[in-house]
Amino acid sequence: MNSLLLRLYPSPWRARYGDEFAALLQERPLGPLDVADILLGAFDAQLRLRGHDTGLAHGKGFVMSLRIGGFAAILGAALWAVAGLVNSGVFVDVDVAVPSILLVAGMPVWLVALAGLSAHQARTEATLAWVAFLVPAAGTVACLIGIIGILVATDEELLWMMFALGTGIAIVGSVLFAIVTYRTGTLSRAGSVLLGVGSVLFLTIGNPNTQSIGAVGLACIALGWFALGVQAIRASGPAVAPRIA
Amino acid sequence: MASKVPEFGQFAEPSLLILVSLSDGPKHGYAIMQDIEQGTGRPMGAGTLYAALARLEEQGLIEPLPPVDRRRPYRLTAVGASNLAEQLHGLSAFAQKGLRQLGRTPS
Repeated sequence: MNSLLLRLYPSPWRARYGDEFAALLQERPLGPLDVADILLGAFDAQLRLRGHDTGLAHGKGFVMSLRIGGFAAILGAALWAVAGLVNSGVFVDVDVAVPSILLVAGMPVWLVALAGLSAHQARTEATLAWVAFLVPAAGTVACLIGIIGILVATDEELLWMMFALGTGIAIVGSVLFAIVTYRTGTLSRAGSVLLGVGSVLFLTIGNPNTQSIGAVGLACIALGWFALGVQAIRASGPAVAPRIA
Repeated sequence: MASKVPEFGQFAEPSLLILVSLSDGPKHGYAIMQDIEQGTGRPMGAGTLYAALARLEEQGLIEPLPPVDRRRPYRLTAVGASNLAEQLHGLSAFAQKGLRQLGRTPS
């Protein structure tokens, strides 16, 4: 009887849950209501898994993307923090290009962090989270293309425009991401405040008179991403210590 | 009350009961069923249990542990814990509102 009921479930479901489900059915006698409940469960699984694999891979992928996003946030924060320190003159005999290289190296890392954390937040506020991902991501990509083009190819005005516009959009997007992160509340709110405030302050870094404020902004951004990364790694782990019943 | 939790359809209540059951530590399917029956006085069928477990796992709210004698324990993830807390706070606020409207709020 049990194996017959089990066969009503789709094969991907059986491959994933079949063994433990069969063990569960052996642990207590089945009444008519139990059989009806299993029939409904099998029908539900057939509807859900028609044309799909089990949700297991999706669930694992979700946790993994959050973890990767967390680590990327911390790495990006470290790169930008070092860039800020080098730029402030803490280290001597360092090439003037190093802060820029570190900032540029941090951008793709930041994109990974942004994607991982946005996927997490999209589970609560899908539209807002993806808008808050797309704006800074588009700005960062434009900025990267611009800066790499300037460094590698030519000094064309179009590339400078792309760099400047991309930077502006990335910073505005960063503020947007911070607001959405604060609103969803699924990650560190303190981190999102630091990121938002830091992004606004960072806008002033282009002005020689307010460069120190811009540096403080960069420090806030780095701290904000660090806090968000730590929270993401914590959230992707277990909530309680294993104590199997 | 704005919903900030994933949609579980008719498995919303079983999912909440499972999350509460796992909140004090990992359990396998049969232990979850027993715990829920003891807590609510109503049995949960195996079909309902596994439909809800699959959804919770898909949402990343619970995760499986290595099986022990074919019985696989599940545990709450940190995301699941914060999700559960959010749901319980929502229910608590709803219950308090109802009690206030009935004039039965403890003074």
